Amino acid sequence: MPGRRVLVTGVSSYLGTQVARGLAADPSIEYVAGLDDRPPRSRLDGVEFIEADIRGGRLRELLPRSGVDTVIHNKIVRRPGPGMSPRAAHEVNVIGTLELVGACERSASVAAIIVRGSAGIYGAEPDAPQFFTEELSRLYPLRTAFQRDVGEIESLFGAFARRNREVVCTMLRYQPAIGPSLDTQITQFLSLPAVPTPLGFDPRLQLVHEHDAVAATLAAVRRPVRGAVNVAGPGTIGLTRLLRRAGRLALPVPAPLFDTVTAASRRLGLATVSPDLRRLLRYGRAVDTTRLTEEVGFTPRFSTPDAVEDWVRARGGRGLASAVGELLPGP
Amino acid sequence: MSPARRQRSGRAQTAADGARGPTALPLRPAVALLRGLQGGLGRGLGPLEALAGAALGLPREARAGLEGALRRLEGDFSEDEWGFDEGFADAVSPLLEMMYDRWWRVEALGVPNVPAHGRALLVANHAGVLPWDAAMIAVAVMREHPLPRNVRFLALSWAFDLPWLSTAVRKLGGAAASPYNAIRLLEQDQLVAVFPEGARGIGKDWSERYRLQRFGRGGFVEIALRTGAPIVPVAVVGSEEIYPKLADVRPLAKLVGAPYFPITPTFPLLGPLGAVPLPSRWRIEFCEPIETASLGSEAADDRRLVLELAERVRETIQERLLTGVIERGSAFVGRRGPFRDARRSDRLR
Repeated sequence: MPGRRVLVTGVSSYLGTQVARGLAADPSIEYVAGLDDRPPRSRLDGVEFIEADIRGGRLRELLPRSGVDTVIHNKIVRRPGPGMSPRAAHEVNVIGTLELVGACERSASVAAIIVRGSAGIYGAEPDAPQFFTEELSRLYPLRTAFQRDVGEIESLFGAFARRNREVVCTMLRYQPAIGPSLDTQITQFLSLPAVPTPLGFDPRLQLVHEHDAVAATLAAVRRPVRGAVNVAGPGTIGLTRLLRRAGRLALPVPAPLFDTVTAASRRLGLATVSPDLRRLLRYGRAVDTTRLTEEVGFTPRFSTPDAVEDWVRARGGRGLASAVGELLPGP
Repeated sequence: MSPARRQRSGRAQTAADGARGPTALPLRPAVALLRGLQGGLGRGLGPLEALAGAALGLPREARAGLEGALRRLEGDFSEDEWGFDEGFADAVSPLLEMMYDRWWRVEALGVPNVPAHGRALLVANHAGVLPWDAAMIAVAVMREHPLPRNVRFLALSWAFDLPWLSTAVRKLGGAAASPYNAIRLLEQDQLVAVFPEGARGIGKDWSERYRLQRFGRGGFVEIALRTGAPIVPVAVVGSEEIYPKLADVRPLAKLVGAPYFPITPTFPLLGPLGAVPLPSRWRIEFCEPIETASLGSEAADDRRLVLELAERVRETIQERLLTGVIERGSAFVGRRGPFRDARRSDRLR
């Protein structure tokens, strides 16, 4: 039996690169191609790198010829990086996905599509179910530009899956990732000298460790399932507890001023706080991961508190209180 | 439950002991700590060493308390996936027990009707903007039940949009009032308190007290049927007098995003002091559980059955409320005022 042939879009992001590496190391996979508009930061052995903009039409001719049977869609911009306008991010997300879906329509060999989507679609709401299950994605209006992008991506793949019953479409809804190698909005925010928090709010956060973020996608390649699957480390952690574990100083800001303060921190070049993150820091969000464990057959190695611990350990952070605690004699 | 809270919840202990024990301010050790710290700093030690040295002179209990506080400061405390924080619940329990014993002089009846193990749904009448009724039900189960257990409760979503209140409610075991939360909690075999009157309960006028409002569409019965949890009707007498609502200013409510803007004798006249509840006398009665497991989870789709059960629960609570109001007698005045010695043994008769 010939091995599987996989295409990874957005291969140059950290998680994209790790997924491509994992695939290249898997003997049951014969061919791995990686697509991105910039070269990967480190060498990718055994992966054919295709430098192309996902928005350009090249995929439409490339994909049908490549004989790829599994597509991993990782080119979703969660936060526009430096030098990228929100408009460009929106285009990559929506036009890029549209191009990819179009290319898959033309390709007879594609049997599975795995999208690294976002649990951001659920939003962050005061009266929300404390654990969103997959069918609850439309409980609240999509409030932010990123949520609307994710909504559009989900409906594009949903429509594709309805038209092409023989193709299995897996929509992985990722909670924010955390880990020593990641440089994301959340890790940057948590590394600020003083972390602004909305005064009087201590939301429950749920994160996924970078190791599990990669492994979950690989598990979905091995066993693709139809529809949405939440990806997160089990359990939750309160923002206050997270900051104290990390030894970070919280800077409580009255909630009505929170937008102003975070906007100032962006102007000072410290960290950007997207509207999605602002709502998350006030109301929090957690998801139910039963489907991931039972249907995809993947159990995360790190719970949310463990993922935070691992990140703290790697950063070598230690709070003032633990220094005092060590000096204190035992009871 | 932590050993400290279990000890406090011991049945033999009288309220008078409780007031002298854990609620007394640890003045002497605090002064000793400050003196030690000052002495250490005077000898030219760094602040951390000085604090460590001063802590050595403390009695064992105070040292454990200080260490506990430091552990919390470094984030070394546990919250479950719902954000329920046992340490926080322990820390505020002296306050809640003071409210229970002294302020409201709660009399709890039928506590053994609460199942000792497994899932169960407590259904109670609701009043007052702050979830004091949920807190007092929790204290009653914790203190008077032969096998104390934590009570989780569903709070109006509006509470989760307010600073501090949102944090306190979740740390005490509250979750937003959504059926998904209730089902998940019950599936985890928790004891869950719900208030089907919801915002309608909060908005009751003084003249409407103890008149149960509509119980929604019987969502709580559906939840109980779906999870096979027994329903325990709970009649709370007293909670409906703590914030006597005389009027409601709709435009102001809209402005702050609250369901009601109540005018009470003390609010907004006394500002934040208006949030101090009146010291009415309380009587919490736990009624016989209604078993639902034998009906099967498909019964949740039977509208007639759901509405009938909801009505039965509502009637039980309404009847026990009216009886309870009569049996309790005067709402505020009793032999045992809030600041007089209240021995629980007399109250239990």
